[in-house]
Amino acid sequence: MSVSSQALTMIKTNDQVSQTESQTSKAKPKKLRQRNRPRNKRNRVEDSTATTTESSTTTESTMPGDNSQQEAATREQVMAEREAKKQAKQAKKQKSTPPATKIITEVEQTTITTKLTTTTTTTARDKPEPPAATAAPAAPIAAVTCTAAAVTETGDKTRDQIKAEREAKKAAKQAAKVAKSSGAKVEAPVQQLANLQVTEKTPAPSEAPAPAADEDKKKPALSKAERRAIQEAQRAAKAQGQGQVKKAQPAAKAPVKSTATHTAPKELKRESVSPVKTTATASPSKNSSGSAKSECKVKLFNHLVSAEKGASLFINDPLVHPSMARLGVQYAQRTVVGSNARCIAFLHALRQVVQDFETPAKKEFGRSLDAAVQHHVDHLHKCRPLAVSVSNAYKQFRNQVTQLPADVPEAELKEILVHFIDTYIENQIGKAAQAISSSLQEKITDGDVLLTFGCSSLIQFICEEAKRRQVAFRVIVVDSRPTCEGQEMLRRLHAHGIPCTYVLINAVGYVMAEATKVLLGAHALLANGYVMARTGTAQVALVANTHNVPVLVCCETHKFSERFQTDAIVYNELSDPNELVRDDKCCLKNWASKAHLTPLNLNYDITPPELVSAVVTEVAILPCTSVPVILRIKPDIGY
Amino acid sequence: MREQPLKEVTQLIHAIKVGLVEGSFGITNKTLDIFKYIIISKSWKNADALMQIVRAQCRILQAALPQETVTSNIARRILKLTREEFDLLHAKVQHFADDSQASLSLHKLVTQTSESNVSVDYSVPQQGLREALLDHLQEVETELETSSENICVQAEEHIHSSEIILTLGHSRSVENFLKRAIKKRQFLTIIVAECAPASRGHNLAASLAAEKNVEIIVIPDAAIFAMMSRVNKVIIGTHSVLANGGLRAACGAYTVALAAKHYSVPVIVLAPMYKLSPLHLCEQDAFNMVGCAEDVIPYDSIPAREAKVYSPMFDYVPPELVTLFISNTGGHAPSYVYRLLTELYHPEDLEI
Repeated sequence: MSVSSQALTMIKTNDQVSQTESQTSKAKPKKLRQRNRPRNKRNRVEDSTATTTESSTTTESTMPGDNSQQEAATREQVMAEREAKKQAKQAKKQKSTPPATKIITEVEQTTITTKLTTTTTTTARDKPEPPAATAAPAAPIAAVTCTAAAVTETGDKTRDQIKAEREAKKAAKQAAKVAKSSGAKVEAPVQQLANLQVTEKTPAPSEAPAPAADEDKKKPALSKAERRAIQEAQRAAKAQGQGQVKKAQPAAKAPVKSTATHTAPKELKRESVSPVKTTATASPSKNSSGSAKSECKVKLFNHLVSAEKGASLFINDPLVHPSMARLGVQYAQRTVVGSNARCIAFLHALRQVVQDFETPAKKEFGRSLDAAVQHHVDHLHKCRPLAVSVSNAYKQFRNQVTQLPADVPEAELKEILVHFIDTYIENQIGKAAQAISSSLQEKITDGDVLLTFGCSSLIQFICEEAKRRQVAFRVIVVDSRPTCEGQEMLRRLHAHGIPCTYVLINAVGYVMAEATKVLLGAHALLANGYVMARTGTAQVALVANTHNVPVLVCCETHKFSERFQTDAIVYNELSDPNELVRDDKCCLKNWASKAHLTPLNLNYDITPPELVSAVVTEVAILPCTSVPVILRIKPDIGY
Repeated sequence: MREQPLKEVTQLIHAIKVGLVEGSFGITNKTLDIFKYIIISKSWKNADALMQIVRAQCRILQAALPQETVTSNIARRILKLTREEFDLLHAKVQHFADDSQASLSLHKLVTQTSESNVSVDYSVPQQGLREALLDHLQEVETELETSSENICVQAEEHIHSSEIILTLGHSRSVENFLKRAIKKRQFLTIIVAECAPASRGHNLAASLAAEKNVEIIVIPDAAIFAMMSRVNKVIIGTHSVLANGGLRAACGAYTVALAAKHYSVPVIVLAPMYKLSPLHLCEQDAFNMVGCAEDVIPYDSIPAREAKVYSPMFDYVPPELVTLFISNTGGHAPSYVYRLLTELYHPEDLEI
């Protein structure tokens, strides 16, 4: 309760977008776990800010989503559909005048979520599987768990998405121009805009109910798609021509609609052609804004592929459940960061997938689900390499799927799996954190100065617990560029009234003399006892070690990995090197044009066990070297 | 008695504080100019009077700029020069053949220390002292000017081809040194830690990237340990070298040196002779300065209101973490620094 309200105040107070993003994502796990009231309120706050900041864009992006939504909803929930219609109408009315207020209802929430899903993944409409169709009715359930936090990010996300799509539209327009040089019909009437919406609606219902009939419908759909592509290109050309004259309104209108129309044909096309190819060919055109480099310039790291940030990755897969697609975007854009947060978000998305899963005809439930989930996990991996916690959770889930009893109705099997997921979150993450915290409380006494690095939800939990016990301690937060997660940590601790000191990592030697204990979070614990954590952790541990300050690494056992690794270079993750560039005046600004210059943004480093005094797990406080022992007995823990 | 600062000295202090004069080399040069001016234009009757003036101005500089040790280093050099010249002239006058300057046998070393206890009366006016001093100052000046070059020349001796070198922040000596190395050796990889919050490493990287046949990698300070496992050599500059062979270097150097120690990577410190200061400071607080914290965390952010935010400028690097000093006179082990100091400065001038 207190946590979420704290999160609320944080949102209000924090005005920096980047910080808000990271913070909401980090506040998420707590949110999800607690499932409590302030959700609605929080929605309103976020939503109103979103609408006021760029009102026209946001509302209009709702439109296509709503339309397709309604069709889907008729079948499932009449009530919800009606209200959604009302909503849509209102939104339509408001199109001309920027809406100042929005009625927040349960349905509103669903529209927002679906807006998210439709804009991030337009697949929703064409999806052969029911998930897309059931997205709206399922949303109320989902809303309880997942949407609340997700919605808060909607504003930013759609904005980004829209930007990307604008770029894509421009590119598509140019391509179309080249293709049909004879096409003199550059002047597209404004009516077409309205028409587009109607036509766009028609294929959606025809495809959604009959996934089996997909093959037959491909032909008309394709031609329709082509036609639409042409229209879109024309309209885009027109919009470009007139763009300078009347900027605000049409500019906002055009790209959003093109979102629906433009991505839809691609969708249809890729069903007929090989899916992989289309994504590949689509990426360069779509990708004009994102950096589409697949390998690092630094020779040492050639083997590490930096994640591709092209929008195409997130849009064009009909087999990916919206919740997973959204998660993929959140992973890739680093709105969901932190091992625990990623794991919880994954499990919630996974539960959605399980709930919405329908066994194909003449297939076994367990196996087809396994395959589907595998596909989703692959998708997530493409967005950002999976966290150890996520892959562990996935492993456990898979284990559970293979052990499902036969001769049990599907609904019951789903029940089992959902229950498994819930208990996993509760036991492995929630209770583990409590256990770790309670065992650490003995170690935190009056006058302690805890030094921590970056932002760890677990350390934050421990500090809050210690504060609750009225221990007089203070915290030194060490931070590093470029992510500056420590600022988030500082803010959270500060909100709890814990006195803090804040330094950057190169000053760690300066403050280490004051520290009495070093508490570090971890991304994973490797089987050889090395700690994999945010870059800089090893340095903090190293300095602490030379100052003879005990280093305690807090890590739940669900983050234990069976991998062996002795340096940070063999396996690591590279973030966007542009994050290192400070501002426009920075000398690194045009690094890409210099052949020999590369900023390198490593995500993790490896702390050798000799620098770590002990690892605090929910099982016990152990030396690093005991990790393999835990790994061996692990299946017995918590189940 | 309170000494009044010369107009030139106040100007220099102002220029340094405002940031018009930057870098140890620039400051050293300016300080030397001032002392030269004092020698030329001030009416001093004997060596003792001159030394009084130099000491007084040096104390003023020191008080105004406690972090800039090079100013007092130069003053000590001047004092030592004065003493030497005076001794030389004095010896000449007495027609006494003194070869103590030429050869330093063990015997001489022993006798010399005992000699220094014999107080010399510097208040005796000495003919030609001013000319001799100016002559000698010229030498010091040229030494200063060529110091950077002399350090660079040694690049080849320390760097082989396809080496991976890590450096921190932006030191001019390091920049020149590496540029020379890049010219002479192929396939070097240079990793530059940016040294937040000022991120001066970016400047160094941009400057080095103009060269060919080299790969420059800019890393955030947090990734130093991660990258250190692949590094062959750490080459850093320093703000000053302390009497025990320790360093007062840019913030972050301590971590770099520790990480290098952890991976047994040699740490080479480029330090021209004028950076050697006869100070014994083994604690952070003794010499550190805290810079502006705005770059660390924006002032208008909410937690910044209550949190303590530090942005220290320097790090103390203990001598055991340093492998080698490269000065304009050659390489030195950290344990040899004390010896260099006794050669450089007169024992009586260590305390100004």
